[in-house]
Amino acid sequence: MRGPEIHDRQQQPVNKEEREVAKRFITSTLAVVVALAAMITLLISSTAAEAHDIKVGAIIAETGPAAFLGKPEAKTLQMLTDQINAAGGINGDKIELILKDSGGKKENAVSFAKQLIEEDKVFAILGPSRSGSTMAIKNIMEESKTILISCASTKKIVDPVAKHVFKTPQNDSLAVRMIFMEMQKKGISKIAVVVGGTGFGKMGNMFLNELAPEYGITVLENETYSPKATDLSAVVAKLMANKEIQAVVNWSIVPAQVILAKNMRQAGWDVPLFLSHGFGNIKYVQTGGAALEGVLFPAGRLLIADSLPADHPQKEVLVTYKNDYESKFNEPVSTFGGHAYDALMILVNAIKAVGGKQDTAMVVDAIENMTFVGTGGVFKFSPEDHSGLKIDAFEMMTVKDGKFAKAM
Amino acid sequence: MDQVRRIIPVVFLIVFIVAVQLATKYTGTPFYLTQLTMSAYYSLVVVGLCVLMGYAGQISIGHAGFFAIGGYISAALTTHNLLELKDNAFVSLLNKYGVLVLREDLYGETLLTVHPWYACLLAIMTAVIIAFVIGGPVLKLKGHYLAMATLGFGIIIYQIVMATEYFGEADGISEVPSFNILPGIELGGGFEIRVVNYYIAWGLVVFGIIILQNLIHSRVGRALRSIHGSEEAANAMGIHTSRYKLYTFVLSAAFAAIAGVFLTHYNGSIGPSEAGVMKSVRYVAIVAVGGMAHLWGALIMSVILNFLSLRGVFGTYDDAVFGAILIVIMLFAPEGILGLGIFQKLKKIMSGGVSGKTPELQESKTGQKQV
Repeated sequence: MRGPEIHDRQQQPVNKEEREVAKRFITSTLAVVVALAAMITLLISSTAAEAHDIKVGAIIAETGPAAFLGKPEAKTLQMLTDQINAAGGINGDKIELILKDSGGKKENAVSFAKQLIEEDKVFAILGPSRSGSTMAIKNIMEESKTILISCASTKKIVDPVAKHVFKTPQNDSLAVRMIFMEMQKKGISKIAVVVGGTGFGKMGNMFLNELAPEYGITVLENETYSPKATDLSAVVAKLMANKEIQAVVNWSIVPAQVILAKNMRQAGWDVPLFLSHGFGNIKYVQTGGAALEGVLFPAGRLLIADSLPADHPQKEVLVTYKNDYESKFNEPVSTFGGHAYDALMILVNAIKAVGGKQDTAMVVDAIENMTFVGTGGVFKFSPEDHSGLKIDAFEMMTVKDGKFAKAM
Repeated sequence: MDQVRRIIPVVFLIVFIVAVQLATKYTGTPFYLTQLTMSAYYSLVVVGLCVLMGYAGQISIGHAGFFAIGGYISAALTTHNLLELKDNAFVSLLNKYGVLVLREDLYGETLLTVHPWYACLLAIMTAVIIAFVIGGPVLKLKGHYLAMATLGFGIIIYQIVMATEYFGEADGISEVPSFNILPGIELGGGFEIRVVNYYIAWGLVVFGIIILQNLIHSRVGRALRSIHGSEEAANAMGIHTSRYKLYTFVLSAAFAAIAGVFLTHYNGSIGPSEAGVMKSVRYVAIVAVGGMAHLWGALIMSVILNFLSLRGVFGTYDDAVFGAILIVIMLFAPEGILGLGIFQKLKKIMSGGVSGKTPELQESKTGQKQV
């Protein structure tokens, strides 16, 4: 009988310690619970909205590697929402924009998409800025029957077509076709392809090599340069040695693309130089100077908004957007911001078309039957085509006297 | 008795997990479970890393690499269509033994892919093997050199996924299928299977914690702490230091790989950011905030910080917040937030008296701060 008693006495200090541990744990758990509860109430109170407002989510890569896309997109969305709301909203309903910075990360895009759909109960989501993030949430949007209008360009977003998923940027392959058509006009059939070593460059390289035979063009040389390159005269020397090359295509989105043009002209090589729509940034022209005079590249008309003829269908949209953006943010407008402009305006017009009703099926239907004049071109959607842009979205451009101009 | 001490917090954790789920159910806020589930998987990486850093004293700034190895291999194997290679001898052999599975995607296309179960196993095994291979030479390094070597490993993995077409380059891999890990239990991101997935994730965390606790409180755990204290002394005592270090490294890599596999199938996608250096730094920061050798501290901080981050509370400053946290913690609370003794102080205020042990603890803490 005494056995257990002794045992008990020996246990006592340990029991006390146990209780200590338990107590400490209770206090820490309590603290965590209180913190979580505070957070949750804060979040709930911040998301309460007025009854009829149209909630629009946006997942934009404002920071991270794709910030050069996301920054102008976020600014454009904010500016446009303010403008629409100041003008009385859509049929009297204000737009409530919920902007989320994904940092260009897919896992964040997934988390935010679910959050926006279920918790904020948004009517539609704009963005993401990047192809990877858009593909990551494509199925989530389709399964939850929420509209997504992406600002990313890869063709996979709209092929296969998901009923609720659209995109605004032009397909890269259209820009390639544009270049090849120009070459046919000029009688060029043997070319060299030089690309910057990024995702954009790789995609261009693929399309350039794939589509060349269709236009009777032979790619004689393929070169890739580092996006951080500071001198490319070695590449130029190598290409120059091949006397058969009639033109060079330099497909890149990084600043190094200007260096190639400079090195070519320095070496006295004056074959036509074609660039991609990734060249559409006036800063590149300023750093390149005289070497860039006369280069050819396809791009949306936003870059030459001011010099478009007055009767051009896009003239009004482009000039208004360009002036608004440049006066508000004091920086040159970019085509990337234009993608966000188109995304929001397509949604707004579709909601207007159905009389301001927040009915997903009706709005999807309205988008699929809509013709919309945007910054990227004239969109003509259909149930089979959720991209809406044709090759006429591009214009062949050149650099003239340090400015973008329409190629003759 | 020692075991009872260890079981109490685990029981608390389980009760807490269930309580949170029930709370979200009755308040009509089940959407919180999405981010809580994702946080659970990141926490699995963190607790594994905590044992490696806090107990064995070996830093790794490459754990996002192991996470990515797990996630990417499983994602690639379960999404790449092998239908065109059907007549290939190797593929048909795999098909014959049931390794491959035929399924239809959301848009009606037929895909022949590796069965997710085999893909997961292969992914985790690959991570373990890689951890063994690089762990051997790398763990011979100490201090900054070890940090640099693991950082290099992380960057290599990042560059590989960024430059390999098979791994989707900058776009990563999407449309990773959900699947039944056990009959009737589906691992995936669908809204209707959210509760199940919440319990899968947290079940894994509880399981991991139990394993790690047993490890810490065993002979191996004592050996690890002695290595942390002084590797030479531990060696002199007859502890096979390099072997213990390697095993802990491999174990924590396996934790990261398992988390990578599960989170990838839960999200349905994986991108290069999961392999990035900032992700590794984030794991290290969380372990530091929790208090290096404090499994529970690491877990609590990981859940809170990841939950907030995944909900976008930090907005544009997301990565900056984690960097700042690391700096502040290293400067002002090198033993982690729980090491500051806030709870002891709170308890003192609440009980109004001083129990024998607390002031002693506090003194040692303040003493350390002054040094």
